[in-house]
Amino acid sequence: MYAKLILRNARRSVKDYLVYVITLTLCVAMFYAFLSITSSFYKPDIGVEFDLAIVNGGMKLAITAITLLLLFLIQYVNQYMLRRRMKEFALQTMMGMEQRTTACMFFAETLVMGLFALAAGIAAGAVLSQFITAMLLSSYGKEYVFSWTLFPDTVLLTVGFFVLCFALAGFFNVRTIRRTKIIDMLRADRENEENFRKSRWMPGIVLLYLLMLCVMVYTGVTKAYYYYDVRYAFVVKLMFLGNILAPALSILLMAVWWLKRKHRDFIRLCQILFPALFPVAFFAAMVPGCQSAYYLPLGDGTRNSYMMFLTGVMAFLICDVIYLANSVITGWKEKSAEHRYHEESLFFYGQIQSKLKTGTKTMMLISLTLAVSVSLFVMVPALVGWSMGFLKQRAVYDVQVFSSYSQVYEKEKLPSENYEEITEYLAECELRIVEDCLFSLYLPREEEFHNRYKYDFPVLAISLTDYNQLCRMRGEEEIALAENEFALQWQSIATGEVEEEFVREHQRVMTDAGELVLAEDGSYRALLGETLYNSYTDVIYIFPDRICGNLLAVNRNRYILTASPVAYDAAIKLEELFQKWYMTDREEKSARYYIRTRSEQMSSTTGSIFVMKASMTYAAVVLLVSCFTILSLQQLSQADQFGYRFGVLKKLGVDEERIDRLVVKQLVFWFGLPVLAAVVVSAIAMIYFFTSISAQIDAYIGAAALAEQVAAILSILVTLTVCYFAATWVLFRRSIRSSF
Amino acid sequence: MKEVLRLEHIQKYYGNKGNITKAIDDISFQVGKSEFIGIMGASGSGKTTLLNCISTIDTVSAGHIYLDGTDVTEIKEKKLAGFRRKNLGFIFQDFNLLDTLTLGENIAMALTINHVPAGEVEGHVQEMAEKLNIADVLSKFPYQVSGGQKQRCACARAMVTHPQLILADEPTGALDSHSASMLLETLRGMNESMGATILMVTHDAFTASYAKRILVLKDGRIFTELRRGQDGRKQFFGRILDVMAMLGGDLSDVR
Repeated sequence: MYAKLILRNARRSVKDYLVYVITLTLCVAMFYAFLSITSSFYKPDIGVEFDLAIVNGGMKLAITAITLLLLFLIQYVNQYMLRRRMKEFALQTMMGMEQRTTACMFFAETLVMGLFALAAGIAAGAVLSQFITAMLLSSYGKEYVFSWTLFPDTVLLTVGFFVLCFALAGFFNVRTIRRTKIIDMLRADRENEENFRKSRWMPGIVLLYLLMLCVMVYTGVTKAYYYYDVRYAFVVKLMFLGNILAPALSILLMAVWWLKRKHRDFIRLCQILFPALFPVAFFAAMVPGCQSAYYLPLGDGTRNSYMMFLTGVMAFLICDVIYLANSVITGWKEKSAEHRYHEESLFFYGQIQSKLKTGTKTMMLISLTLAVSVSLFVMVPALVGWSMGFLKQRAVYDVQVFSSYSQVYEKEKLPSENYEEITEYLAECELRIVEDCLFSLYLPREEEFHNRYKYDFPVLAISLTDYNQLCRMRGEEEIALAENEFALQWQSIATGEVEEEFVREHQRVMTDAGELVLAEDGSYRALLGETLYNSYTDVIYIFPDRICGNLLAVNRNRYILTASPVAYDAAIKLEELFQKWYMTDREEKSARYYIRTRSEQMSSTTGSIFVMKASMTYAAVVLLVSCFTILSLQQLSQADQFGYRFGVLKKLGVDEERIDRLVVKQLVFWFGLPVLAAVVVSAIAMIYFFTSISAQIDAYIGAAALAEQVAAILSILVTLTVCYFAATWVLFRRSIRSSF
Repeated sequence: MKEVLRLEHIQKYYGNKGNITKAIDDISFQVGKSEFIGIMGASGSGKTTLLNCISTIDTVSAGHIYLDGTDVTEIKEKKLAGFRRKNLGFIFQDFNLLDTLTLGENIAMALTINHVPAGEVEGHVQEMAEKLNIADVLSKFPYQVSGGQKQRCACARAMVTHPQLILADEPTGALDSHSASMLLETLRGMNESMGATILMVTHDAFTASYAKRILVLKDGRIFTELRRGQDGRKQFFGRILDVMAMLGGDLSDVR
């Protein structure tokens, strides 16, 4: 009998909580799919030069940690179900069923629902894992081949993890039911979220904001001495001043509000703070920009704390907007009779306002989470493109050996190695060297040898023959120079403006072997790797061989191309051996030697990029679907209440067409407000993010390619939103129709 | 007296062939303008079904209902809502006020869905509220006022559009006796001073005694009709109780 009851209840709940079950299925599917690549049975063909171990370790941890977020969703929905069913439990208890039995039955019911989602999710996950494999293989630059499998260890892990989650949520529910008195059970459905106007949430948030403003003022004041530095531009001074004055203004406004005791209206305070937060955000946002543009010696700590401040202000913006939404609507409604008494608008405003009164907290949390989720989504292609592009320009030779003279203070200790051990090692590994370039980098003028200030490192020079050999190795076009000419080779991260300015100022270069003139169109951007350039410089001179012969050689590099890729293990071993051969004492003032192998770089970077990409996407999806599920359930779970209200409207003679229109309007508002708030905030954050890394975007991804990817992601997001909205709308309409 | 409502041989059946329940079995009557008519009967006598048919929420199986000359049984489904909106006012047992709106807004709601110009809404609401003595609680929400005030608000909402007919379904069902008599006085006032035509369904003899004419239903038919005539309310109440006693007894007692 009990089993029958459980199954029937579960079936009914599935109908009520369809959105939740689908979300859960989706999450199980993703969990399984992402974890499937860490399975010990998973053996994709990615080539000898790669190692999946990095992916496996990182993935398992990241995915499980992110999935813990799902616990919140499971717990939230369970509590919701619990509250709605309390009356039923009370009835069962009054009929003589033990509270423990009731609780266990509820647990069994949610478990049946969860297991259903689990089974469906694993089946869907097996399909989804094909996409993940395709994504992985494309990360490693391999063709996708279909390989259909169900991995037993991943299935076990998925089942174990989710059953544990359900059990944990179930345990809390059982405890709640057993501890609730019958009378409270009977009253449970009358309880709602507390009235936000009366709760201490918003005052708490404002207090936190005040604290943050104080810290901002303090940080601003401690940096204020830069303000008096005459060398800085007006913009920098404005930034320093603004970062003290803008938060101080907000604090002052709060103080004035506090002192005007008679009219201490909290909503008024939130209204005052709203316009005042924009300058705060603006000046905080200026800090990282100014820092990179004007080389301000602020340090990463300060920059990060200003980024934190900016995030804090954005979060407050969301809370404030949603908190004020109610008073804005009231204001709009009160403004004129036309707004108020236009057809059913009174009803619409009533619906919205009553919901805002009690649902503000949830809405704020949802908005914040959505903003994080959308930002994560949009950041993925930029970060992935950046790292992949960077990798492509970094790992351009199979083996790169290079040295740095930044710790050398005596010219006798400058390197002159030929790195012969590497030749031997490669021969040992039966790797044939196809191209090999051993070359020196020269100081144009010997007197610059001791220039060791950060922004004052000299630009080095390479001889024309060496440069052309590197170009040949990379398949780039070779160049020619006249007797007394020189050319420039730029690293791709350098911006066009920097290049123009440098070219303007360096039409002639004085060297120890005579003066040289910049060749016509003598500025090149061949992709020759990033180990060619001196510290803190993005450019290198190309001098005729005759000149270089008379200059001081400071760095000694060797770039090698092999006939076949160096196996990952061999590469790691080579790096270890190299460390031994050329290990220098940290204290010793001699040259430092470094080695990079393409296999190690590609493998570790590709692996971590993949983990980053997969986990960020997964986190974003989990957050997004959780938000939409809660939004949707909030509407659907109150359908009986709404059914009554719409029923009254119908009795008053409003036809169904207009009722449908009202339903749509209400749902659009309820979905639209948090989504809009999140979109606005994440748009600001993303524009800011993209402008701050615009140099990297241009260098490694290309603005057009990035825009295309972002547009694709946004269209997926819009589709998801529309799907959830449509599902909620259909279910909502059905349930209010049935209660007419 | 001008006729507002006329029912001609109304029948309403439930179920299918071989197992037919006659909820209403051939009922005909007329209601004149400014009449206050009560429909009485025990549970299952068909009074709520009758009200639902008149209010066009339910359809009849046979017969015609004319409201102000229009046959409501012939009105197309799509136009029903509009017809209801213009011609009928409702007062329900459980008030049916919107908990999200203040009393004033609840009354205004009836006007706005009838497309009354926005500028005139407040005047009408205020005027009606004053007549029903709820002007001072207009800005309160339903959960902040008493049941009697809620029901008077419902009356105001039903009256404010000046419908042809006001249908009241057990209006005192959820009220204590004091609030109930206050509400009934209100209804009487609406009928007498504002000329409202009211059709009230109730099973309570005291409530029914406020009407001027009473139709007593039993098993889907009109069992008897009582007219107050020149009697005071108390005498009328006594007569109703007598009929009720008869209803409770065997059918042979009456025939």
